[in-house]
Parts: sequence; C-alpha cells; structure tokens
Amino acid sequence: MKVTLPHMGNIYVAFSALFRALNIDFVIPPPCSRRTLSLGARHSPEFVCVPFKLTLGNYIEGLELGADTLLMAAGPGLCRFGYYAKLQAEVLRELGFQFQVVDTQPFEGGRITGIAKKIRWLANDAPWPKVIAAVRFALAKIAVLDDLERIIHCVRARELVKGTATKVWQEAIRAIDVAADSRTLHQTKTDYIEKLGSIPIAEDEQPLRVGIIGEFYVVLEPFSNGDVEIELGKLGVEVARTMFVSEWTKISLFLSALGLSPKREIFRAANPYLKRDVGGDGWESVGETVLYATHGFDGMVHLAPFTCMPEIIAQNILPTVSRQSDIPVLTITCDEQMGRAGLVTRLEAFVDLMRRRRRAPLHQGRGLNLAQSRKGR
Amino acid sequence: MEVYVGIDVGSVTTKFAVLNEQNELLYSNYMRTQGKPIAVIQEGLRDVAAHLPSEALIKGIGTTGSGRMLAGVVVGADVVKNEITAHAVGAAHYVPDVQTVIEIGGQDSKFIILRGGIVVDFAMNTVCAAGTGAFLDQQAARLNMRIEDFGPLSLKSKTPVRIAGRCTVFAESDMIHKQQMGHRIEDILYGLCEAMARNYLNNLGLGKEILPPVVFQGGVAANVGIVRAFEEALKTQIQVPPHHHVIGAIGAAILAHEHMSLDGRVTKFKGFGISEVEYTTSSFDCKACSNVCEIVQIKMNREVVARWGGRCGMWDT
Repeated sequence: MKVTLPHMGNIYVAFSALFRALNIDFVIPPPCSRRTLSLGARHSPEFVCVPFKLTLGNYIEGLELGADTLLMAAGPGLCRFGYYAKLQAEVLRELGFQFQVVDTQPFEGGRITGIAKKIRWLANDAPWPKVIAAVRFALAKIAVLDDLERIIHCVRARELVKGTATKVWQEAIRAIDVAADSRTLHQTKTDYIEKLGSIPIAEDEQPLRVGIIGEFYVVLEPFSNGDVEIELGKLGVEVARTMFVSEWTKISLFLSALGLSPKREIFRAANPYLKRDVGGDGWESVGETVLYATHGFDGMVHLAPFTCMPEIIAQNILPTVSRQSDIPVLTITCDEQMGRAGLVTRLEAFVDLMRRRRRAPLHQGRGLNLAQSRKGR
Repeated sequence: MEVYVGIDVGSVTTKFAVLNEQNELLYSNYMRTQGKPIAVIQEGLRDVAAHLPSEALIKGIGTTGSGRMLAGVVVGADVVKNEITAHAVGAAHYVPDVQTVIEIGGQDSKFIILRGGIVVDFAMNTVCAAGTGAFLDQQAARLNMRIEDFGPLSLKSKTPVRIAGRCTVFAESDMIHKQQMGHRIEDILYGLCEAMARNYLNNLGLGKEILPPVVFQGGVAANVGIVRAFEEALKTQIQVPPHHHVIGAIGAAILAHEHMSLDGRVTKFKGFGISEVEYTTSSFDCKACSNVCEIVQIKMNREVVARWGGRCGMWDT
C-alpha cells in the first residue's frame, strides 16, 4: 500500500510527518505546476472549480509515481466540495487507474474519532498512543509553519532586497519537513525566526496592509492564486489572513466535528449583510471584510474560484460592505484561464488606489467594490 | 524647453505624448503596434525627435499599457505604470472633477470610478473582446466600409435592431442574420453600438455607482455611434476629451513629470540614439522546476538588458 494526497499549501509537510511516524508507505506528488493544472483541467468538467482541477492533477501525478491509495477529503458541506471525492475517484477509474480511496470524512457521525480511526487503519492498527503522538507531532509542524509564515508576511513587505524572505521561507519549509523529532523542530523554528529577523528591512516603512479573504483552497494554495501574496509583497504590501493551514485543520477537522465554531465574531460582523451560512467561505468573506476594516486595513483582496457559488454570493454583497465600511475590495477570480499579466496589472492599480487613498486622508474616498468582471469565454 | 514623454504600448496601437512644463500637449502620435513593439517604439521615438524643437530637453519619461515593461527597458523609463492609473490621471487632467471613466481600446476595456480626483474603484475586461476596437474594425471590414464612417452612418438609424452582444462570434452571426432578413445597415450598426454599450456596462459596471461627469476615452471614443449608445444607456451626457486616443500616454507623461519633480531626480532616458540600437527579444523555457515557465529576454546589442516571466523570480532582473 502506498498513500498519496493532494496539495494545499504546505499541508503535505504534516502528512509526511504523520506517515513517517507511523511507518506508512507514501508518496507526495510534485508541487502544483502547469502540468498538474493542465492534466487536471483536461479530465475535469469545464465549469467545476479550480480546486477540483488541481487536486485531480495531484492524484494523477501521485498515481504515476506508484501510489495505490488516495487520501481524499469529503463530507457534507454546503458547497459541492463534499461531492468531489466521489467524482474524482470516478474520473480516475475511467482513466484506468487502480487504487483504493480513504476518505477523511471529518463530520462522519459528528465524531472526531472517525479520522483517527482511518489513520490508525492505514497504520496497520498501530497502538493508540503511537497514533496520537504522531498526530500531535504533525500538528506541531503545521503550527511552526504558520508561525513562520506570519513573520514572512511582515518581512516580505519591508525587505530591502525583494525575494529574500521568499527564499528563506522555501528553505524553512524543507527544514521543517525533514525535522524528525520535536526537539529538532523547535530548534529549526528558533533558527529560522533568527534568520528572518536578520533580513535587512526598511525600518520606518508603514506598508499598506491588505487582508486576504475568500475560498479556503485558493487562499491556501499559492499556485492557484497566482502567488498573490508574493506579488503583493513585491509591491511593498503586507498581507494578513485569518485562514492558515493550522487554523483550517483545527476548525474543520476538530472543532467543527465537536460542534464548536470559533468563528462567532466573524459571523456576528457579517450579520447586517448576510444572516446565514451560504456554503464554502462566503459568510466568512463578508464578515472578515467588516472586521479588517475596523482594524484599519487599507484594502481587501478577495479570492474566488471561477464558478464558486458561495464566493459569488459574497462578491455581490461586498460592494455594500465596502461602501459602508469604507474599505476597497478587489475580487480576483482564480482558474486555469487566469493570466499573470492581467493579475499583476490589477494588483498594481489596486496598490496605487490604496496609496492615493492614504495620501488623501481628508477625502476618505468611498471605497467601492472592485468586483472584477465575470469571465466571459 | 523642458518636456516629458509618455508612451502607451497597447496590444493594437502604440501612442506617444510629449508635454511641456505646464502639462500641455506639444506633440502626439498614434501607431499600430503590429506585433513588433520594439520597432514601433523606436520609430515613434524617431518621429518625436523629428517634431520637437531643437531646444527641447527631455526631463522625464513614463510608460504604460500592456507593453510597459518592455518599453520601460528599451527607452529607460523613469516611471512604469499600469494603464488604470495612467488613464485615470490623464482623464482627470482634462476633466478635473471626473467621477467615471469609460476607456475602450483595441483589445481591452476599462472602467474607472474616481471621487475627489482619486481612483476608488476599477474593473478591467481582458477576457472578452466583444466590446472593443478590434471587433469594430473587423465588422467594418466585413461590411466593406471605412471604420471612420461607422459612427456617422449608425447615427442615421431610426429603428435599431437588437444584436446579441455577449460574445463576438454570436454578435457577428446575429448581425449576418439581421442582414439576411433585410434590415437596413444603419439599424444594424446602431444595434451593434447599443449591444456593445450594454455588454460593457453589464460586465464592467456591475455593482458600481456611475456618477457624472462621465468621460469616454480610448480609440473607440472616436465612434459617435458608441458615444450616443452610452449616453442613452446611462441617461447622462458623455464627454470625450480632446486627444482621447492618447490619454494613456498623456497620463504616463504626467506621472513621469510628478515623479521627476521630487528632490532633483535625473531622468534614466537613454536618449534618442536608442532608436538606432539593435534590440532583440527571445524566449526560452526554464527547466529548473516542473512549471517550465517561459522566460522572455531582451538583448541590446547582444547584451542581456532584461528578463522576466518566471513564477519564482529567479530570472527577474
């Protein structure tokens, strides 16, 4: 048995740690690339969203490397994501691949033990204490990655030589991936905090601050959003987001399974505009815009996969939120047709817009929504 | 005399504008890019040199448009700006209290909302070309008429027909269908103008507060039929500023002027001599990772002066 799983940001680091600790044979597909996307898009329904296409590409590339067991996320949510595991398995079987599916239904029976049981089954019924220790170590790795990424966001906007932080970040991910025990992991964290701290930065800069919101996959997988955070960093913008891999894991795999929601504040903020969950992260996109505005952010970048219903709902509400909260919002539609030149032009114009707003404090321009035109083909 | 130059390298046309210290337009030209941006930039620069008084001294130069990076490298620009900002600055120069800018060029269109002179919102449409100059050109050619006659003829229409304007292919087949039904040509032309205005407002104007003064610029603003169609759709008067086809270049020149007026900067302009230098562009696939990015490189007299195009930034100069 050889397990593989799709990419979503750095989540593979956690799964690699878990599999290694439990002696599960596995293969991580190559990072998302143009090949992944074109493979995925070729075998996907055209109007399905880009997360489906990219993860399908990941599975194909994993299977090509000899995987025979696919880890798939699934579950009853309000967006069609819940159905993707079934559909992707069907597509892959039609392509002639042979494999078994292990779906991580986080909400199965409303109990968290569902996932743990599946992991234990993959690990050949390893003793529970060993499974729990492995899961904890994997989560510790994501927590370290996310802590470092927050520092990266800060350094990227201020560094004197553009691109330095991103290089250190790539190194850090590799180092965290190979760290074999908790002690090494913590040492790695300390080392990289120091390394990042020694990158020369412009001290007196007050960079523009932008909140990143939208559908979780396109927010967390840089390939799918045209490296929007790196591009903003190049333009001297500091980004912030509430969505991190560790948060997502904590919330969607654990807290939601236990019936807890840490998002009360976000939903309360969204309430004047949208009173209920519309699936995916639509409700969050609305609420977070309100919250970021109250924290004095200069603007929002809203990432939406093409044809994503929850984000289309959010996109249509955001002009009102933007006007009333006085914060500009740029919606970027992500899919395989997305062009880099177009993205960069929009980001540059958006940054100019925010700079000029800042320079003209008397005229707190009524920030309207920058809803991008829907894509026509 | 001190002058500032703006260059707008668009997908279909390349525009030059020369401004004096007071930001008054001294000279402009408008050329087809024809897929050879470097040659056109060099030719435009020769043309500018020929039309400038001998005492003129270039104090700053700015580039914009989809070819702004390339143009910036070739001429040695002080400012390389996106076309949204350049067009907004240009529009506000002619209509200082402008609140809405409609810009339709050869291949894309823009919509810019300003309040109190600053951009507060914008949209760009580059995916669908149904409402742009290239399509109008193509239709004029198909009907065997000059593009200059398109607007005046369409205004003669009394009962415009409804054309499906969402997509160029459908619009064209719908126009052909209406022709075969025997509709008059002016009614079909004005129907197309209405369809274009409708399509533009539905796509780019979505969720935006459109307030007057509304300025319409870009090459397509020369078409009086489209201007009328926008006025009818928006129920407001539309202003087409002077030099509406080179506003982007004017904006780039103003931005260069603004930039150079800060603490004694010296222009990076490489001089008119560059119109005689040999520039070559080439591209190659980077094999460093599975992305296989296409890297573009520009050589000046066989020496690499710029490279871009990779996802990771490893080739960026």
